[in-house]
Amino acid sequence: MLLDVTNLTVCYDKAMLINNISLHVDRGELVSLVGPNGAGKSTLLRTITGLVAWEKENLRGTTGGDVTIEGQVSFDGQRIERMPAHEIVKLGLVHCPERRRPFREMTVYDNLLAGAYLSQDKESNAKNLATVYKLFPVLAERSKQISGTLSGGEQQMLAIGRAIMSQPKLLLIDEPSTGLAPLLREEVFQTIMEIRKLGITILLVEQEVARVFKMASRNYVLSSGKIIAEGQGEQLLADEVIRKTYLGL
Amino acid sequence: MLMDIIINGLINGSVYALLAIGFSLVMGVARIVNIAHTAFYMASAYFIYMGFTFAGLSPLLAMFCALPVTVAVGLACYRLFIKPIQEHEAAVLIGTIALAIAIQEAFLMSFGGSFLGVPPLIKGYTWILGVKVTWQHLLALGVALLVLLAVRLFLMRTSVGLAIRSTAQDREVANLMGMNVTRVAMWAVAVSVGLAAIAGAIVVPLVVLDPHMWMHPLIMMLAIVVLGGLGSIEGSFVGAYIIGFTEALVVFLIPLGAFLKDSVALSIMILVLLIRPEGLFGVVFEEER
Ligand SMILES: Nc1ncnc2c1ncn2[C@@H]1O[C@H](COP(=O)(O)OP(=O)(O)OP(=O)(O)O)[C@@H](O)[C@H]1O
Ligand SMILES: [Mg+2]
Repeated sequence: MLLDVTNLTVCYDKAMLINNISLHVDRGELVSLVGPNGAGKSTLLRTITGLVAWEKENLRGTTGGDVTIEGQVSFDGQRIERMPAHEIVKLGLVHCPERRRPFREMTVYDNLLAGAYLSQDKESNAKNLATVYKLFPVLAERSKQISGTLSGGEQQMLAIGRAIMSQPKLLLIDEPSTGLAPLLREEVFQTIMEIRKLGITILLVEQEVARVFKMASRNYVLSSGKIIAEGQGEQLLADEVIRKTYLGL
Repeated sequence: MLMDIIINGLINGSVYALLAIGFSLVMGVARIVNIAHTAFYMASAYFIYMGFTFAGLSPLLAMFCALPVTVAVGLACYRLFIKPIQEHEAAVLIGTIALAIAIQEAFLMSFGGSFLGVPPLIKGYTWILGVKVTWQHLLALGVALLVLLAVRLFLMRTSVGLAIRSTAQDREVANLMGMNVTRVAMWAVAVSVGLAAIAGAIVVPLVVLDPHMWMHPLIMMLAIVVLGGLGSIEGSFVGAYIIGFTEALVVFLIPLGAFLKDSVALSIMILVLLIRPEGLFGVVFEEER
């Protein structure tokens, strides 16, 4: 198991956003995580990569009360639930956040460089940069452009490219297709398949349920902070209750 | 007259740029509005005076010693007083005001309110286009421009600079890139106070020291960062020269007008806030989550 989450519970003040969740991702898989708005998908990813703990530590008293995190998270055989976010990346657990969030004032190239911040190895950085430019030729063309002026689709490519520069073993991607035109969305999904072929394991949060079910090896359905179903796409879609109530299909 | 305005505008502008850029760095990286920033500029000037007067150092050596001392004091103040309240904007504002006044009072008690000075590093003067300009003024200008260039190279070409720029825009994503944002903030504070200390060293031979000398540059600096856009480094740079030249114009063109310079800067600040609150180069900070 590459990622193993056991009995994870996260409370913001009195609201339980993650309710005793266990899930796992094996090497080489593409696992999807779906569920209605506000289900806690992003919170789960943010807890795994240490951002919730960082928030707890650094924004104490400002985001409205206390955050508690309970349970275990292991990655690649190491316990990481107490590890600071900036060290978790070093292990190869990389998070491409919701809303893309490029460093807007910086050039495309500097954004990619920021992704490679931890690696002093010039050779592997150059190799990764070539990989990213091959996946997204438009980033090579626009490498000197200020990233805030990119289109939404280009910003998403940049966010994914930047994450690849961090040399992920497991890449968590949060809603990459949201806000994009249908054609671009399909392009994003194709890229994700390409990334998988690079040997990178993927945990994908998506709204486009029907589409991701076609490409994922396994899926988790999350609602109100709980995992309410797990399985292959057809399996889940065959279940009337899950399909209507939780997937809105 | 014109040459006076140009030389003074350039020197004012460069010193203000050093101050405003340092202020913006910390504002961006750690979200701290550091009212005590110019108090460190004053502290550096006093440390140089102390090194020169009590330790018998040459003015130049005193400057080189004052720089690390000021940075160390700045880092200690940040770590002890500011960091614990960093996420509470109002508390930081009040805390840094208190810190500035504490520094002022410390020097007032140690040295009284009397005017003190440090001799210039080089004496004499030259003539530029028929205007007498001291070598010390030219040296100040040259050093300020060199340091500004160095800051730019540091921010754009080094890995710490990259981390500072990234953290200033989005702390969470910086975290996700493996940047230790707490350490990046310490770096930003060190560079920021270092720049204030250099600004202090540049002006110390040109001005008289008194424990209130932090106030005027504070007002100018606040006007500059509002004009340039809060948190924007380019904005601080451009704004500094605009305000620096405005100050020189007011002082030289209005007879006995020197007392007006603060009010002119403040008027510019109010105008900017009314007309274009985001300033010339407004920066949007990424909201956490
Ligand atoms: N900092 C916070 N403090 C309190 N509640 C929060 C905080 N962040 C998120 N929440 C709440 O937690 C719940 C889960 O949010 P989360 O962003 O994880 O949902 P999501 O499944 O990613 O939704 P979406 O599909 O809209 O992105 C929501 O009800 C949200 O309002
Ligand atoms: Mg979400």
